[in-house]
Amino acid sequence: MHTCDLCACAMRVTMCNHGSSLKRNMCPHPGVYAGMCMRCGQEMDDEFGVAFGYIHKKLRLASDEISRLRDKDLKNLLRDRKLYLILDLDHTLLHSARLLDITVEEGYLHNQTDALPDNLKSSLFRVEWMQMMTKLRPFVHSFLKEASNLFEMYIYTMGERPYALEMAKLLDPGDNYFSSRIIAQGDCTQRNQKGLDVVLGRESAVLVLDDTEAVWGKHKDNLILMERYHFFASSCKQFGLNCKSLSQLKSDESETEGALPTVLKILQRIHRLFFDEALEDNLEDRDVRQVNLSQMAECTLSFLIKALVLKTVRKEILKDCKVVFSRVFPTNFPAEQHTLWKMAEQLGATCSTELDPSVTHVVSTDAGTEKSRWAVCENKYLVHPRWIEASKYTWQKQPEENYLVHAKNK
Amino acid sequence: MFFHIVLERNMQLHPRHFGRDLRDKLVAKLMKDVEGTCSGRHGFIVAITGIESVGKGLIRDGTGFVTFPVKYQCVVFRPFKGEILEAVVTMVNKMGFFAEAGPVQIFVSNHLIPDDMEFQSGDMPNYTTSDGSVKIQKESEVRLKIIGTRVDATEIFCIGTIKDDFLGVISDPGATS
Repeated sequence: MHTCDLCACAMRVTMCNHGSSLKRNMCPHPGVYAGMCMRCGQEMDDEFGVAFGYIHKKLRLASDEISRLRDKDLKNLLRDRKLYLILDLDHTLLHSARLLDITVEEGYLHNQTDALPDNLKSSLFRVEWMQMMTKLRPFVHSFLKEASNLFEMYIYTMGERPYALEMAKLLDPGDNYFSSRIIAQGDCTQRNQKGLDVVLGRESAVLVLDDTEAVWGKHKDNLILMERYHFFASSCKQFGLNCKSLSQLKSDESETEGALPTVLKILQRIHRLFFDEALEDNLEDRDVRQVNLSQMAECTLSFLIKALVLKTVRKEILKDCKVVFSRVFPTNFPAEQHTLWKMAEQLGATCSTELDPSVTHVVSTDAGTEKSRWAVCENKYLVHPRWIEASKYTWQKQPEENYLVHAKNK
Repeated sequence: MFFHIVLERNMQLHPRHFGRDLRDKLVAKLMKDVEGTCSGRHGFIVAITGIESVGKGLIRDGTGFVTFPVKYQCVVFRPFKGEILEAVVTMVNKMGFFAEAGPVQIFVSNHLIPDDMEFQSGDMPNYTTSDGSVKIQKESEVRLKIIGTRVDATEIFCIGTIKDDFLGVISDPGATS
């Protein structure tokens, strides 16, 4: 019996020809560790396959091997009724700010933990060696705990590895959720793009939670877009938001109604739909992206329905009115394109440029125009343009008496 | 494998060290510079065991530094292809497991793990036989065979296998008596 010590294939042959280069070439070279084939030990090219530096810095895998691992892993995962979930860090699960970007108004955040308001005691962290502060999004611990029952989770951030590892310690102090599944900027194969090529999970079973759509160009169907979490003032400026930040208002996102509890329900729903036992096909042939899309379509549909209902209701407000405008539009301006004209039509009124007996309202700021005097003579309502606006904002026809235009005193 | 060999090195010494304790200072500097380093040829230098000889010092032109050729005995560790080693498992994942034998980091891919051992994920990921009798997890001691080595400045990396006779788990930390 002889075991080949060139490639350690443990083939029991009495006469081995493994000394020849034939055997070496037959090795499929599934991957490379520290520049050596992990199956036959042969020295390999540095650029072989795809780098999986986040698992081990010297590890690279060939595409066939990646597919094989994905298929094998999927079987195990589906047996446990789990899918894959990729989580972004910044503005999705937490928000970080450099210490020197903390404004004076946010100064109270520097206090000792005991002096902080209750909601911050366990969710605000100071990372001294990185000179920054991190605020975890409300509900994040419950979210991770619940999601870990349904998904194998990854962290995927455009931040650098030391930052990613530090945040993982805050989110997952017991190392239960992520272990080595933490992907950082250096692991991306394309600049400024996040890809599922470095994830050891089949694309049809992966869901992504991120606040930025642009970085997931190739995998939009896997993405569930999250509302951005801004806690510190520094990012409000960065994103061009003119309001005060949550930290300045001494407030926070709702623990029960915020983005994380909402998205958890969506994830649970998608999970339920995917593993629906009533469907007849194999679990392995199902595609979570289709479930995601149909879920998104449903949300859009219900939103559209709501919008349609509102539009119909709005058209009832001024439905029996016929309106003529006087000295409201600049001369030579096409009347039908004016905001007020369009607003009146949205509210159900009929607009006209000419007077006739069916006109019910004349809208003007001046009681002295020809049309205004006609209105007073014919006992029609002569109202200020604000009457239309008020009706729009209050969703009901305002009493004209509150908006009458009177002739100027002589 | 460990070796006890004689190596030579040219040590440069600053004039401020010249004096009564010159040789001691030279030896101390040698130990600091050399112990814990790696070379492709000799492997990992574990410890210096003695000084064989210190040659005549040569003053370098233009500076006050003096170069002494020092011959010293030391214990080195270098893995060889085909060698059998014992190592401690440090990480287990779906691709295989990583183990350490002193300064050497070894990767055993699942292609070189016996087919009857399956990967089990969970809190303590491991490879287990179908009857559960043999388990490889973090902190397990395994006997493996080296099939490839690579040395860089401070570390040595190896590819290993346990797919042969007499290879595999030596002791199972999770085993009950």
